[in-house]
This record gives sequence, structure tokens and C-alpha cells, in this order.
Amino acid sequence: MKQKSEPATHGRPSPARTAGPILRVEDLSLYFRASVGIVRAVERVSFELERGRSLTIVGESGCGKTSLARAILRLLPRNIDTYRGRVFLNGTDVMKLSDERFRQDIRWKQMSLVSQAAMNSLNPVVKVGQQVAEPLLLDHHMSKEKAFTRAREVFQTVGIPSDFLNRYAFELSGGMRQRTILAMALVTSPSLVILDEPTSALDVLTQANIMNTLKGIKQELGLSFVLITHDIATSSELADEVLCMYAGQLVEHSKAERFYREPLHPYARKLMASVPTLRVDKKPEFITGQPPSLLNPPTGCRFAARCDKRFDRCQEEPPLFQHGDETVKCWLYENA
Amino acid sequence: MQEILTRLGRHSLLRGASLLLTVLIAIYLTVVIANWGGAMDDARRAQIRFDVTQQIYANPEYFQLPQSELQRLVDERSEAQIRIEGLDRPFIERSLRYTRNAITLNLGRSEHIMGDTGSRMVRNILLDRLPSTLLLIATAELLLFFLALFGALFLSRRYGSFLDRLTIGLAPTSAAPAWFYGLFLILIFAAVLRVLPWGGMTEAPPPRDTLGYALSLLRHLILPVSAVIIGAIFSSIYSWRTFFLMYSSEDYVELAKAKGLSSRAIERRYILRPTMPPILTSFLLMLITMWMGAIVLETVFNWPGIGRLYYQAIQVYDTPIIVGVVVIFGYLLAVTVFLLDFMYAALDPRVRLSMGGGRR
Repeated sequence: MKQKSEPATHGRPSPARTAGPILRVEDLSLYFRASVGIVRAVERVSFELERGRSLTIVGESGCGKTSLARAILRLLPRNIDTYRGRVFLNGTDVMKLSDERFRQDIRWKQMSLVSQAAMNSLNPVVKVGQQVAEPLLLDHHMSKEKAFTRAREVFQTVGIPSDFLNRYAFELSGGMRQRTILAMALVTSPSLVILDEPTSALDVLTQANIMNTLKGIKQELGLSFVLITHDIATSSELADEVLCMYAGQLVEHSKAERFYREPLHPYARKLMASVPTLRVDKKPEFITGQPPSLLNPPTGCRFAARCDKRFDRCQEEPPLFQHGDETVKCWLYENA
Repeated sequence: MQEILTRLGRHSLLRGASLLLTVLIAIYLTVVIANWGGAMDDARRAQIRFDVTQQIYANPEYFQLPQSELQRLVDERSEAQIRIEGLDRPFIERSLRYTRNAITLNLGRSEHIMGDTGSRMVRNILLDRLPSTLLLIATAELLLFFLALFGALFLSRRYGSFLDRLTIGLAPTSAAPAWFYGLFLILIFAAVLRVLPWGGMTEAPPPRDTLGYALSLLRHLILPVSAVIIGAIFSSIYSWRTFFLMYSSEDYVELAKAKGLSSRAIERRYILRPTMPPILTSFLLMLITMWMGAIVLETVFNWPGIGRLYYQAIQVYDTPIIVGVVVIFGYLLAVTVFLLDFMYAALDPRVRLSMGGGRR
């Protein structure tokens, strides 16, 4: 509750602010109402993220990655059916806060979002500098002058010339736009930044550039990142931990070293095997079949139908097993 | 800032010039059509000849002159008169001269219609009537714009509610023109309830004090303005609400929400601002048809504006007045387009950039 009384200080987040993990998610579920039924986009996901570390959430399209991020940020569409669970940010259960408190105390103060910078993530008729400084000017926390000085600072941090503050979004290239959005996310010095596919609309060179910038920022500012991506190769640059999702559920949560070398869950293994590599001579594999519909997911393990290691137990839904430091949702690790 | 102003200035000049050219061409065409491609001038020449012949043959002084001498006199005098009126020049030159006269409203005397002040000069008649039309249409359109804007914003927040569905259901009512609703309004409020006047701009005779005059004017404005609003509001709200809904699902709106902006700030800066250009465009189209609609609307409400003047002029074939009204309508359209174009540029930086040419 300490952060509540602390109106945007914009200093660096001191690691000692609160003991314990920066983010703890418990049993978070998000279901949507659709014309054909209930879509279980996120189902009972739990994980923890230590301060200063970065977590990558991987999985194929439609597995609930983005919905998970939306659920943490409370950015919900109209057709919500179920939204429950607990999200502790710096030790506070933010799910208990009212919408207004959440808006004033959490959004951009403690947690910010870098969305995919497609053409329209920036307001076309407002100068980008204004948009970047905007969170600082909210509720008159800061004078206009100071806010723009700060905006100039973050523009430098992310590698944009500061005279770009006076431009409009349509005058920037895709990479510059992505950097602008990144600058926007950093301007209030939040302790957690959620990046939702920040590089997927960009070319490979720009992707690498942005990733390097992110790495630099992470080291320099000691932020915690949650990076959502389907681009497994690029994500390895930034990850300390990896959370793999399949059909709305968490299937594996591992340290990055482990996940990128030898993941535990059969799905994660298949996923890694599908990534082409440069140095090792191997043929990229593919996963047969389709992911199950989230409207009416199968009972038992959801990956069973596509899994080549399935056995009788797979008809029941596996719990999360602890395997060393890793967590995995697969019967193979029941006795490990 | 200075550069923006320079660019805006240059843009306005260019825009103004191109609009002026459009108006010129339109007026030229009107002049040619009103002249039946020169046939009217031929008729006028024949008329002059006929009048002169009549004059000379009826003049007792010339009774003694021989036939050939009379004929010479007729020729001489008709030629003189034709030259005075410039009818001896080629048609292309004549039409340009008429166009110049038309754009300066230098249209001489009306053929039948007399102005409210008793003047028969076309320019005076037109300029006497113009303010009434401007007052009526501007009041109605401004009210309509803001009502529809706030109605649309309100409904976009209540997507799918009863009010929303009701508005969508009522949108087809805008297919009927304003005067159609005007007839019903007159029937209800003037004929049956007898609370509002049937038509006209003020009571007759007009009240002498300013306050009384203003109140009387206001009372007479209620019905025609309501007719305009009823005739357009539902479809405007419907289409603008759809614009708002479309623009509020943009990614930047979501990002603004994630930034912790209040819903009012989001609505103002992230929904209203980017949506204004398409809304202005649709409003512009509506306004253009409205100027035309003034003709019947003013006739129904007996409103002494140029619309009704046009109607009267057509009934009695008063060509100078007809040309004059067309010219005024041309100017009104050009000014409308110019103003909205200017606002468009002020609202949308992308337009601002493309119009001035070059980067800042």
C-alpha cells in the first residue's frame, strides 16, 4: 500500500521499495463472451516475477498471451464474461482496487505498456512529444516545462533525436514510432513495463536495434520487463525467464537458459524445434494439428491430441509440477 | 508557429483562388445558359429594331420622308442603340462582359420584382434579402452541428442501448427534406395549438424597439430552425456516432487508457480530435444541400430570404434576379467550402503538411 500515497516520483524505482517479487499473479482467468459461447482466453494462470528480471511469454497466436497482458493491465474489452484471480504488483493486490484508483495509482505510475507500433498506436493529430509527456502532466503532477525536459531525456534514452518531440506520428518511420512508444512507457519510470509484441511489425534490422535498446535500458535502469512475443528467436535476447502458454493455460515456466536449450514440456520442445537456427545443422520441425478451440477446450491435457509422448494419464488435466526451479504442466514430470 | 501561419496563408490563398475559378466557371455557364447561348441577344436586337421602327414610323415629323430615307433612319438608330448596349460585339466578348457584371452583382434593374425598400436594382434586392437567409441557415446549422456532435458522442458511450437503437431506427426520417417537417410543424404549432407564428420573419408591423424585434425574430425562427434540425439530426447522429465508435477502437485510444488518462481526456484528445475531419466533411456535404434546400424552406415559411426570392423570380421569369441568386449561391458554397477547408487544415496535421508543400 506504500505506493498508493506516492504520486509519480519519476525517480528510479528503488529495488528496496518493497520486498518480494515485483509481480505475482495467482489464478488469473479472463473469459470473453462471444456469439458462439464463452472463450476462455486465459485460464488460471499463476506466476511470479522477481524485481529487475525480465519474463518472456511465448506461444503461438491465439494462445492467450495478449489477453494475459490485458488482464494484468486491466485493459478489458466490453464482452467480458469472467475476470478473476489476484495480481500483486509490488505487494499490493491491484485486482481489489477500484477502476479509478487503478487508473490513478497503477497505470503508468507502476506499470506501463509498450504496444505493437503498427500505424495507429500513436494519435495522428497530436504531436508525439505531447503524447510522451502526457502521463506526467496528468492531474498536474508536473509543470509542462519539466515534463518536456523529462520527455527529451527519455527520447535520448531510447535513441531518438529530441527535436522529434515536435513531430507527428505520420512523420516518423516504423522503428522511430516504436521507440516513441517505448519512450512513452519509460517516461514515468514505472517499475514494470509490459511489452506486447513490440517488434513484430518491423523489419529484422529494426527489430534487432530495438531489442538492443531494450537490453541497454534494462541494464541501465534496472526495470522489470514482461515481453510478450511469438518471435522466439528475438525474445531470447532479453529473457531471464520464459513462460510458455498453450490454449489459454500456462504450460511451462522456466529459466531462460533452460528453456532455450532444453525445455521440459513437450509443446515447448516442439515449439523450440520449430525455430530455425544458424549454427547448428538441424531441420526445423512443425507441430501437427491445430491448437484446440478456446470455446470448448478438451478435458485433460490440452496438448494431448498433438503430443507424441501422450499416455493414459493425459486424459486427466495435469496440475503444475515443480521440476527443480521450473514449473511444468505435464504428467511426464509427476514423479520427477 | 510563424511557418505554420505562412503555410496556412499560402494554402488559403491557393484554395481561395481555385474556388474563385470554380465560381467563375459556374457563373459563366449560368450566363451562357440564361442567354440561351446568344439567342436572347438576338431576340434583344430584333426587339430594338422593332421598337425603333415603331418610333420612327409613328413620329409625325417623319411622315413626309420617302420610304428609303425612313429605312435609313431605322437602320442608323437601331445600329446606334445596338452599339450602346454592346450587342454588336461577338458573343464570346458579350458573355465575358455579362459574367463580369454578374460576379460584381452589377445586374441592372429587375424586370418585375421590387425590393422591400422599393428599389428595383437587382443588387439592392439581393443584398436586402441575403441577411435573412444567412441568419436562418447559420442558426439552424450551428445548432444542428452541436446537437448532433454531442448526441453522437453521448450515444457512442452507450453503444447498443435503447436510445442508440431508437436513433438508428429514426435515421431514415432524414430522407425527407426540412420543408416536409416544416409543413407538419406549421400544422401543429400554428394551426392547431396556435402558439407559434405561421411564417414570416417578424410580426407585421415589426416591433420598433430592439428587444421586441429580437424576441419576435426568435419566435419566428423556432419553427423553420426546428424543421431543419428534425430533417437532419437523426442520420447525422447515427453516422457520427459510428465514426466515434470506429475511432474509439483505435490502438492509440487503448494506449491512452493504459496511460491512465481520464475518460474525459481520452474522449477529448483521442476520440473527438481525430474524428473531427470526417465529421466536418459530412457536415460540409449537408451544408451544401442545405443552401439549396433554403429555396423551398423559405417559401414554406414565408421567410424573406434569397431562397424565396429565387422562387418568386422563377415564377415571373425575372432573369436578372435569377442570375443574381445563382451568383449568390455560388459565393455561399465557395465560402462554405473555404471555411471548412481551413478548419480541416487546422485540425489535421496531415492535411496541413500536404497542402503547404515541403517540410517545416
